[in-house]
Amino acid sequence: MATNDIPGGDDRVGRRSGFSLWPAHRRNRVRTAVIGVVLVGYAWAAGATEPFSTISLVFVLIPGVILAAIAVAWPPQRIPPPEKLDTTGMFYWVIAVAALFEWEASAWKDDSLPWHPSLTDLINPLLGPHIVKSAAILLWIMVGWALVRR
Amino acid sequence: MSTRDITIVGFIIVIAAMFTLEFLARRPGSRIPTVGQWLGYLMRPRIGRVLVLLGWWWLGWHYFAR
Repeated sequence: MATNDIPGGDDRVGRRSGFSLWPAHRRNRVRTAVIGVVLVGYAWAAGATEPFSTISLVFVLIPGVILAAIAVAWPPQRIPPPEKLDTTGMFYWVIAVAALFEWEASAWKDDSLPWHPSLTDLINPLLGPHIVKSAAILLWIMVGWALVRR
Repeated sequence: MSTRDITIVGFIIVIAAMFTLEFLARRPGSRIPTVGQWLGYLMRPRIGRVLVLLGWWWLGWHYFAR
């Protein structure tokens, strides 16, 4: 009897016809969701640590080591950088960044917390609530990933 | 207005200027690069890549571990 053309066992329709029964975009969505849940959990745990503690340092070291390893060993597809930048357009950024550094440096140089607080002095109290600190850590990790892709 | 308030307003102005630049950069045909573009440009050589990623890590250490 000629039964070779009957699909069965591993010879499923999806594999034979060239399309997957578990489409790539669904697989990617599941993977992204899992990574998202892990990152939120990680940020929540990291946000609960005490400043100046070893465990808080470890929580900051781990993303750095993982992203460095990914960047070196398994680099993702990178977003191509521009060949050159418009000088005038870039100059606006240089002014803004220089102004920020100058404003920050003057606070640091004068050690003048009461009347000229540094950006750190202003941001640290905002990071007090657990949820805010965790959200900031999550944002920091995502920025790190965005940089690895650049 | 105290000098402390002036300092805070200064930071707000500079940071708002950066957000404005990013907004302007995202308009079609803009000559201003986005943050991603100029960081990507800085990260073309390996040393630039290492320094930018170190800067990112330092920010995390500075704000979350200290």
